[in-house]
Amino acid sequence: MSDLRVHKTKYINETKRVSFKYDGKNYFGYEGDTLASALLANGVHLIGRSFKYHRPRGIMSCGSEEPNAICQISDKNDLTEPNVRATELEIYDGLEAFSQNCWPNVKFDIGGINNLISPLIPAGFYYKTFMWPKSFWKKVYEPLIRMSAGLGKSPTEPDPDIYDHKYVHYDVLVIGGGLSGIISAKIAAKSNLKTLLVDDKKTLGGSTIYQSNDSFKIDDQHSSKWLEKEINEISEIENLTVKTRTSIAAYHGYNYLLARENLTDHLSIKDKKDKIRQRLWKIRAKKVIVATGAIERPLVFNNNDRPGILLSNSINKYLDYYGVACGKNIILFTNNDSAYETAISLHKKGIKNLIVDLRKNSQSEIAKQAQNLGIKIYFNHVVTNTFGYRRINSVELMELSDDGNTTIGNKIKLNCDCLGISGGWTPMVHMHTQSGGKLDFKNDDQVFIPKEIDNDQISVGACNGDFDLETIIDKTVNKINIFLEINNQDYKNTKVDCSIEKEKRNIWLLPNKIPLGKTKCFIDFQNDSTAKDIKLALKEGFRSIEHVKRYTTTGMATDQGKLSNMHALGIIADTAGVKMGTLGTTTFRPPFTPLTFGTIVGRNVGKFFEVVRKTSIHDWHVDNKAKFENVGQWKRPWYYPKNGETMHDAVQRESKAARDSAGILDASTLGKIDIQGTDASEFLNRVYTNAWSKLSIGKCRYGLMLNEDGMVYDDGVTTRLAENHYLMTTTTGGAANVLGKLEDYLQTEWPELDVYLTSVTDHYSTASVCGPNSKKIINKIFPELDLSDENFPHMSFKNTKLDNVNCRVMRISFTGELSYEINIESKYGKSLWEKCISAGQEFNITPYGTETMHLLRAEKGFIIVGQDTDGTMTPSDLQMDWIVSKKKYDFIGKRSLYRSDTIREDRKQLVGLLTDDPKEILEEGAQIVSDTNTKPIDMLGHVTSSYFSPNLNKSIALAVVRSGKNMKGKKLIIPMENKNINVTVSDTIFLDKENKRLNA
Amino acid sequence: MLDTHYPQITDNKLNDVEISLQEPISKINLRGKSKEFFAKAGKVLSLILPNEANTSSFSENFNAIWLSPDEWMVYFKNDDEKVIFNKLYSEISKVNYGSVTDISDQWICINLKGSKIYDILSTGCSFNFDQFLKTDGLTTQTIVNHIDVILHNKNTYNINLFVRRSFSEHLCLWLNDSAKFV
Repeated sequence: MSDLRVHKTKYINETKRVSFKYDGKNYFGYEGDTLASALLANGVHLIGRSFKYHRPRGIMSCGSEEPNAICQISDKNDLTEPNVRATELEIYDGLEAFSQNCWPNVKFDIGGINNLISPLIPAGFYYKTFMWPKSFWKKVYEPLIRMSAGLGKSPTEPDPDIYDHKYVHYDVLVIGGGLSGIISAKIAAKSNLKTLLVDDKKTLGGSTIYQSNDSFKIDDQHSSKWLEKEINEISEIENLTVKTRTSIAAYHGYNYLLARENLTDHLSIKDKKDKIRQRLWKIRAKKVIVATGAIERPLVFNNNDRPGILLSNSINKYLDYYGVACGKNIILFTNNDSAYETAISLHKKGIKNLIVDLRKNSQSEIAKQAQNLGIKIYFNHVVTNTFGYRRINSVELMELSDDGNTTIGNKIKLNCDCLGISGGWTPMVHMHTQSGGKLDFKNDDQVFIPKEIDNDQISVGACNGDFDLETIIDKTVNKINIFLEINNQDYKNTKVDCSIEKEKRNIWLLPNKIPLGKTKCFIDFQNDSTAKDIKLALKEGFRSIEHVKRYTTTGMATDQGKLSNMHALGIIADTAGVKMGTLGTTTFRPPFTPLTFGTIVGRNVGKFFEVVRKTSIHDWHVDNKAKFENVGQWKRPWYYPKNGETMHDAVQRESKAARDSAGILDASTLGKIDIQGTDASEFLNRVYTNAWSKLSIGKCRYGLMLNEDGMVYDDGVTTRLAENHYLMTTTTGGAANVLGKLEDYLQTEWPELDVYLTSVTDHYSTASVCGPNSKKIINKIFPELDLSDENFPHMSFKNTKLDNVNCRVMRISFTGELSYEINIESKYGKSLWEKCISAGQEFNITPYGTETMHLLRAEKGFIIVGQDTDGTMTPSDLQMDWIVSKKKYDFIGKRSLYRSDTIREDRKQLVGLLTDDPKEILEEGAQIVSDTNTKPIDMLGHVTSSYFSPNLNKSIALAVVRSGKNMKGKKLIIPMENKNINVTVSDTIFLDKENKRLNA
Repeated sequence: MLDTHYPQITDNKLNDVEISLQEPISKINLRGKSKEFFAKAGKVLSLILPNEANTSSFSENFNAIWLSPDEWMVYFKNDDEKVIFNKLYSEISKVNYGSVTDISDQWICINLKGSKIYDILSTGCSFNFDQFLKTDGLTTQTIVNHIDVILHNKNTYNINLFVRRSFSEHLCLWLNDSAKFV
């Protein structure tokens, strides 16, 4: 370990060494180190290259605001992860991290040439440069842009880690475990409210937990000691849950928040095996207290981006929390008092440092303390330049003019190996604004703070613009008491002694003798946006902050502009001569910090990617090698290939068998609704287009259901089981929606009807046996049943028993063949099926899947709602005028059927198509035209269903064609990629128009 | 008698979570509003149908779960002969006091026991179980892992979960997988 580990702290376990690799080189740190602190302890500042100019960049901060130190973790194709902040990643044994955006290595990067040509590539150069010549776009510009786009490498194999989700509900959620968050959580929990406190760090306490300075005391103890006691106390409170390593990703309306909990990222590779890596918490909280603190701002001056330039408070944290010195000769450049705390800490550890302060003086206690310790302070001075390529080695200072607009006097050059910068503090208002809150501008501190809103949410502490200890404690306690409507007195006598900042001086863009065009004053460090870019955008006419943001890409990197947005606003305001408060801010969008896709998806991957519904006969289908098709969430047998058959071959065989002898289909997935009540017939009259009152008990009828707009919505057969009792079937995919729609009608439109609906889709399994031999098979299964046409005609049903189990046998057909559908309680579904197969063996009964079912029904011209219809087809368009009752007073959609648009003759209408070449099978979805020579081609319609029929030995298709009803016999063309297919419009019924087979 | 086949759900005990199939049990859906309906149902089942949302009532042999202001699910020990159903159907449906529908095979009952069952459910269910887990007999219709379910709190850390038969294997697979991580 280098001599930069200068201080033992309780947060770093120096008894446990942790080995890791960075850019292939072995290092070690200690348990509790972040990658950033461990690298700094090893003297490594150069971490990566900037996005656009490939400038050397180092660690700049110690938290989620880090713009530079972003790394690629692991080189494995499945586990690699780009853009991980070294400041947030805790090291573990076996960690391998790599620099990003550099080649061949971070020290020598070919892309660094961009820095040399940077005057040629200012903001917006893409838009101006890649315009001409036009022919360059496809072959030069686009490949070039694609090559240089993006940061880091995505994994190329599936992520083997496990992720999870969790829904939780709390009375109070406190975001942020700093001083104000801990006070808030303690008050809430002690008031008997179920409270959750989340913090993204591994330990609570924010920046106060390592604050050991005589100028900051609470109850006569150092603030850190006092806070430690508070933290110990809250761990004893029963109804308070504390989640560390958990960051809020999004704050949605009505206090619904998403948080990511890191569970194993800090564990060694062997310890994290088979454990959940990250969990997405979906939090509903009655009240939310935002205590997210503030981020230290950088300062904007020439070459402010070199490795070795860090935020001043981060230097302090690395020193007092991690025990790591960021350098041995440190200069702190500030416009506020907080850098003085860092200076005093450094001084205590014997690290040479001095302060450059923009202000003319500082009368605060902490400034006096620094002066008394002999720390040199350059008041009214400004850093005008820095030097050192891979790490800063010196800075240049100049005195500021009285108005702060220019520099005066001689340049002073000072050597250093680290520069700490502090431009003040920016309250983290992201959560407040994500939830819909607005902001106020506080002129004194030049900060945006949350505007109080009445939606059970409050901001306290530094994120509310309260920066000193006394104000934080005082205001937090008062606000929480009011917010939670309680009267907690725990902090009434808390005594706070702290240094108060008295002098303020903020300059967004620091003056320099060098013209701005020749400087590199970075604002957005990750996206390489400079002050010059912002000014250029303004010169080019952009005024709105949203436009400037997009033109310059300021604030659009993975750090979402946490360090850059305020300076961009400040420079715009100064340049345009407007007040900053009137400019507003850019939109703070979730996630606050990047989320892995794994966290978003949770365990909804692999076998849990989609919910699966299975019929009771599913296992038989699996045993018999069925191929399955997803229909809604159902797994339906698609076809049953035998001896290596293709789908086409299997379907041809299955459909031939069904027509020639017998076929059997698992029809259990059809929706089934039990309808009871004295008004059940009237209800069906209102729901379907045809009449139902006269349907006899024991009979079935096909019905077509419309939407209010007159378009076909669903169809199915309904059976009258008793005087006031029906069983409705719906399409497989439409079952839930139909039930919902009908229940909605009953509750809102027709409350006067005495009708009750109950879904029985899963209660019954259905085996549909069809074909010329189906009657013989049914007779074998139900020998006592009289199957004669007189006793059991088409569209009727019988209650019967099979081995003493109740069954319902319906003589209905969706194939055009003589067919029987047997409904039985699902627990007997598989047994029934096996009985049918066994009984049908002598007739070569053939199980068929959905594809054959589609073919068989298409031969008969039966529609499938959703395939031959698309929500724009009326019954008349489907040539099904026969099903619309002219006598009924009303039914859903009736009025719409008489609108001028729905009675147009030139609507798209269902027709049959026959190809000139009977072997040519049309593609479903193919367009239909009458003339290919006219440009643009007039599209008449499209093919909805298409098959090769082995029973007709020719290709058949259904299609919707404009004015199709009047086109029978007309020749049309299906233009395909390589050829035109000639077709003739035909009737929609291709087979057995006389319905002889139904009664065979 | 035909063979019966229930979804392939193997009983499982892991991390203080017990998941077990509770079939066969009979389930009947009751719907109605009239006084006669309540009187007849009460008489046959020897219980008063609960009228408060998300509650249940029970008698020696029957549990009645509130589903909506005019809908209940009654479940009880398996009744192959359909005696109870037939009686209810005759006394309610046939005389138009309401509707009685056999839904024994519509829903599969799975029992969840153990101190971690709510941890499992909360990984795929947005329902707030705070009150539910404290009060025996509470019920809710909610969604677990994208699947509609009815939950009945039998007593402390012991709930009956009803799921449509077709979804039951998938849901159980998911519950067992979840149990590995609580």
